[in-house]
Amino acid sequence: MVIPQAARRGALSLLLFAGFLAAGSGIPHFLDLSNLLNVVRQSSIIGICAVGMTFVIIIKGIDLSLAGLLAFCPMISGMLMLAGFGLVPSMAAGLLAGTVMGLFNGLMVARLAVPAFITTLVVGQICSGLALIVNGGRSIGAFPERFVFIGNGSLAGIPLSDLILIGFLAAGWFIQRMTAMGNHLHALGGNEAVLRQEGISASRLQFFVFGFSGFCAAVAGLLLSAQLDTVHPTQGDAYQLDAIAACIIGGVDLAGGRGSIPMAVMGALVIGCLRNGLDLLGVHPFMQNVFIGSIIILIVFLGGLVRRRQELATRGTL
Amino acid sequence: MTLEANQARTAAPAQAGRPGPLLERLGALAGRNASFVIFASLAILAALTVGNFASRDNLVIILKQSAIPAVACIGMTLVLMTGGIDLSLGYLVGLCSILSGILAKTLVLPAPVVLLAVLAAGAAIGLANGLITQYLRVPAFITTLGTGYILYGVAQIVSQGSIINRLPRPFLAIGRTDLLGLPSAVFVALGVALVFQLLIGKATFGRQLRAFGFSPAAARLSGVPTARVNVAVYTLCGTLAGLSGLLFTIRVNAAQPNMGGGVFTFEVVTAAIVGGTSLFGGVGSVVGSIFGVLSIKIIENCINLLGVSYHLYLAVQGAIILVAIIVGNLTHRRE
Repeated sequence: MVIPQAARRGALSLLLFAGFLAAGSGIPHFLDLSNLLNVVRQSSIIGICAVGMTFVIIIKGIDLSLAGLLAFCPMISGMLMLAGFGLVPSMAAGLLAGTVMGLFNGLMVARLAVPAFITTLVVGQICSGLALIVNGGRSIGAFPERFVFIGNGSLAGIPLSDLILIGFLAAGWFIQRMTAMGNHLHALGGNEAVLRQEGISASRLQFFVFGFSGFCAAVAGLLLSAQLDTVHPTQGDAYQLDAIAACIIGGVDLAGGRGSIPMAVMGALVIGCLRNGLDLLGVHPFMQNVFIGSIIILIVFLGGLVRRRQELATRGTL
Repeated sequence: MTLEANQARTAAPAQAGRPGPLLERLGALAGRNASFVIFASLAILAALTVGNFASRDNLVIILKQSAIPAVACIGMTLVLMTGGIDLSLGYLVGLCSILSGILAKTLVLPAPVVLLAVLAAGAAIGLANGLITQYLRVPAFITTLGTGYILYGVAQIVSQGSIINRLPRPFLAIGRTDLLGLPSAVFVALGVALVFQLLIGKATFGRQLRAFGFSPAAARLSGVPTARVNVAVYTLCGTLAGLSGLLFTIRVNAAQPNMGGGVFTFEVVTAAIVGGTSLFGGVGSVVGSIFGVLSIKIIENCINLLGVSYHLYLAVQGAIILVAIIVGNLTHRRE
């Protein structure tokens, strides 16, 4: 049985909507406007990470450096800001750091054929260590007002965090659907032989994907710190699993080649709703992790099951 | 001893005609025993540059600190040899720590029962990792990332975030009994190493494991029970992680859910890679991994002795893995 992409998407959207309504009717204050805005604002961090992560998973990789980058990049920017540097150069330094670390991941994958989960795990660990070292494991805060405004202000009634998320969603969607590179990325994950026949360099794509994911992580980390007006050296740990879960819930295929940016962002909203709903119900964050960890394994299993059936089906019709 | 024998054998014909290849062969010999060379050079370097390093007390400390990661590292080596990874290992250590605390202190069970129960719990969780990876065909790093979060959550919930300390004496005796000036944990680690060296080096299982790691498809075609090998490896890794959680608890005399964690997983992976285990599967050895653990513990020890921030150790481990990967890749390419 082949399930068309559109039907899967429709089913997921319906499921999300049903869950949303169920949560709304069952959990007090879930549907309050202020709570919903809060959910989207919290989801923006996961969503931005998920945009970068989707590209990485499409080329059959994974980015485990998020946890480190989400703390390391804002730590750099924060230290610079507190040292009296301007807002723009400080933020640029943090963004640059994230991108460079991402490009380094790309280098390891493209030139040395190191598995993505290893190099990103290592780079993430180095970043975590550096984030802890630079300020002796303490958090920093009390940033300039303009920086805090990015995280908490709004434009025409819409929180800036949400606008940034929409910006990344649009950019990711544009790259994926409207550019030749988008096609090449899918080819790299789905059928590398085609790419080689076309004479397209895989390593350039890998550099781009990991660099972009690092950039997304840096943006998300800065945004998180702007929202909280704090940089804590382990603030990223909670978000890595959520970003991966968002992609997987959004139907991004860990076997590579398949996945859509809007669906991954939708996955981020699902995670955001889920965490928020469980919070309101008084479920402890640790229990939430147990829940989300199980969801990831379950969905990856079901996805694999569906894919093998499809492969069987296509082989049968041929 | 065998090292020198090998050296003599390879050097003799070289000296007969051409003197050049001797150096080359020495290089190759060093390459084959890279983990020992790394360990020896680090130890010599540390002894020469870091004060207080070469004291007897300090060496005992390094041995004590290496014993527990070594047990876990042997399990991780097996998993890495299949081409997989176990990211849940550190969280399993935390869960087994709190479990051993509850069994030994709250339920007042005798020490051997606690030991068996913790090993069984580790084996059961490892078995679950193996079954999910093998039969549900979820990639190992996703399975273990997921189960890692689950285990961490369960450990926190079971313990309610609290620590159980002052554990009963008979339980502590498992790892703290003094033998020849060393705690028994060191000898437990040696015993585990010996058993697994035989298992990987001499038994059929080791050959099957290497064949599976090099090429699962080829191994299956030549009659290796690949599914069983793969599941067994995760089960063994879980068991050893459980044992190291128990020994850890005994060493610090406190059962705590935060023990181990991602940092410990990373340390163990680093040690295995420094010990010459290939991330691509098929290559790895118990002896290598033990030298790997000793090497990174020497580095940690020096960071402590020099009074540098402990956090530096995390970053340094990352740098070590990167160097090991790059060097391994370059030498591989030259061959």
